[in-house]
Amino acid sequence: MYPISVTRSTTTYFCVVAVDVSVTIQRRTLLTALGTGALGGFAGCSGLTGGGEGAAAVAGETLTLTTTTSTYDTGLLDAIHGEFEAMYGVTVDAVARGTGAALESARNGDADVVMVHARGLEDEFMRNGYGVNRRDLMFNDFVIVGPADDPAGIEGMRSATGALTAIADAGATFVSRGDNSGTHTKERNLWEAAGTDPGGDWYQETGTGMGGALNVADGQGAYTLSDRGTFISRRSDIGLAILVQGPIEDGPEILSNPYGIMAVNPGVHGNANYDLAMAYIGWITSPGAQNAISSYEMNGEQLFFPEAVSENPDFQQYVPDGWSSGTADA
Amino acid sequence: MLRATAVSRSYGETVVFENLSIDVEPGEVVAVIGPSGIGKTTLLRTLALSLEPDEGTVSFDGTDAWEVDDPDRLALRRRIGMVFQAASLFDAPVARNVEYGLRVRRSWPERIRAELRSLVAPSGTADAVRDALDIVGLDDKRAQHVESLSAGEAQRVSFARAVAYDPDVLLLDEPTSDLDPRNTAVIEDAIAEARDRRIGVVVATHDMYQAERVADRVAVLLDGGVTEVGPTERVFDDPRDPRTRRFIDGELVY
Amino acid sequence: MPIDPAVQSLQLLVDLPFREGYVRSIVSVSLYVSLIAVALSTLFSIPVAVVLGFNDFPGKGLVKAVINTGMGFPSVVVGLVVLFAVSNQGPLGSLNLLFTKQAMILSQFVLATPPITAISLAAITGVDEDVRDAARALGGTRLDAALVVLKEARYGIATAVLAGFGRAISEVGSVLIVGGNITGADGISKTRTLTTAIQLEARQGQYGTAMVLGGVLLALVLLINAIVVRFGDWGVQR
Repeated sequence: MYPISVTRSTTTYFCVVAVDVSVTIQRRTLLTALGTGALGGFAGCSGLTGGGEGAAAVAGETLTLTTTTSTYDTGLLDAIHGEFEAMYGVTVDAVARGTGAALESARNGDADVVMVHARGLEDEFMRNGYGVNRRDLMFNDFVIVGPADDPAGIEGMRSATGALTAIADAGATFVSRGDNSGTHTKERNLWEAAGTDPGGDWYQETGTGMGGALNVADGQGAYTLSDRGTFISRRSDIGLAILVQGPIEDGPEILSNPYGIMAVNPGVHGNANYDLAMAYIGWITSPGAQNAISSYEMNGEQLFFPEAVSENPDFQQYVPDGWSSGTADA
Repeated sequence: MLRATAVSRSYGETVVFENLSIDVEPGEVVAVIGPSGIGKTTLLRTLALSLEPDEGTVSFDGTDAWEVDDPDRLALRRRIGMVFQAASLFDAPVARNVEYGLRVRRSWPERIRAELRSLVAPSGTADAVRDALDIVGLDDKRAQHVESLSAGEAQRVSFARAVAYDPDVLLLDEPTSDLDPRNTAVIEDAIAEARDRRIGVVVATHDMYQAERVADRVAVLLDGGVTEVGPTERVFDDPRDPRTRRFIDGELVY
Repeated sequence: MPIDPAVQSLQLLVDLPFREGYVRSIVSVSLYVSLIAVALSTLFSIPVAVVLGFNDFPGKGLVKAVINTGMGFPSVVVGLVVLFAVSNQGPLGSLNLLFTKQAMILSQFVLATPPITAISLAAITGVDEDVRDAARALGGTRLDAALVVLKEARYGIATAVLAGFGRAISEVGSVLIVGGNITGADGISKTRTLTTAIQLEARQGQYGTAMVLGGVLLALVLLINAIVVRFGDWGVQR
């Protein structure tokens, strides 16, 4: 079928394409049969890579997914994972960390697949060879939230950097995640873009996850940067309001919050459960799971917007930003 | 039967005794008398094979106890019973205490089986235990916990514990020094009973009257050695060593 | 904050058919991990305490100092060290222990061993030396003497074990790091314990669930302390 000289990794890479193809075909035919279809594509892949035992090869196995507190604390993963687990007869262990810690676990080979939201860190992860087969998964956006009385007067601002500058100028309390998470990375990038080096009594780092940071900000009447999903899931419990919107509500593009998913490179960490990781990536980027993501609501609001299925796929999602086959060959 | 020959023992620079010899035969009571702190306890522990002498030999029926290997020495040790000045009872009922020597002589499978059985149904007290308690007049207290005993009763249990496994030699270290006359009398009767059972008894005491009452022979321990040893009456009536004479006459005050 | 924990707790009672399995699985993971860790610690600690209590050797003071220092080990540091050990890159990496109950047992073992050893050692050295001599003089072997001492020290050792259990079940730092606080999509805990669940529920603003779990943990710890006191009483009565 294929030249015998192909290396294992090349064959495996091809299989991913096979999964995607099967998913695409299924989307055109019958959505409900998707599971079986993906399974078929995957089974073929197992055969190619030498397992030869079909889909049963992954049954009973455990997939370790390191992800961020913002996806976990919203309850999204618990809501959708049941379908995947039932489909393959496997278990997904989702470990919620900051993006930095989630990537670090994967870098050490302690995870099979990683779902985070900091493109710069993801690119670095891939360039260093730890991650392969990145897919754009979904997005939401960041919002700047704060107390209703808005002491820095940022409500309705169209510029996120302008709002941060106003907060710094007013010396109004700002709570930072301070945990090297995706949100924290975004926040630091925003301060940099604003040309402000935050510091002083008004700037507080908590290191307690997104939900924790919202609790702290609420308790202190402080501003903070939050992903929209976590904020919506917590809005009814706290007294903070969205003061600067993200791109979902026509806010500045700089506040967009894209989530990506990558498999840990089995060439670097031979113990990574690559087959199951790819099955998971195939499933979560499938129309069915993408639909489940878009229909997941909290307090009547959609938290995440699927991005994996598109009529015009963005090829940059598979590789680090700025990478091209030309540069790789040279 | 049990014989220490020319034994010496020091703690650091301090010599406790030097070139000391003593022996005991079956059915004989030997009293070791001497002032407090002279080394009677060290001597008894040497005889009990729990302390190796620096020099000299301790032999049991002609076997040098420190020339044989550990299991053989344990077998010799197990023919010796010992009662300390303090009762040193275990935190358990009287019968469990008295039974201890019998228990450790059983094999592990037997011991575990016996423990498991006793969990299901309280087993009857062994005859040897009842007999040993009978010697000290405490058979009626066998189910009591030792905490409820008086000091005298505790010491009597300690005596019963040492004779329950029918040793060949019984070593008693100041067994009555903390006791009232009534309990002292019970212990002394028990020593006589032990002698009747052909047990060789060595009793260390600072009480010369007690030595006179219970002992067949007396060894006088003074100045790091046995100054005199002989039949009780002869030693008390006609000591040959001048230091022994002064000690017995009460002139030698330590 | 516009939350009323009392109201939330009431709502939780209504939700219980759904949350009950969650709470029960968390309690059973907590008990499973802590009980096994403490059992292993006890099996390890008591022989160590016996050896330390019965023998004098050069460096004994140092060993005791290390054990006493271990009683103050911060659990997050222990978690970090165990993380490095069981991580794929670590010496035990090939065993694939990270994010499993086994890794949590390992870290709680490290946490519970110093207090169990130290308190057992104090109890063993507190036993009158005469009793040990008596056991030997009555024909006991060294092992018999050690068993007698252990039996005499049983109330102290029971206190040690319960203290170790109390430390294990109420610590949050290390089990979070090495266990990963995982539940399945069905809401059944895999490596989520009472402490890590409370931390997560509070972070998510689920104060009602957090309080129920807190109550369960508190009840467990109180139960343990009641047993400790009870053992102490027995010790006095005897």
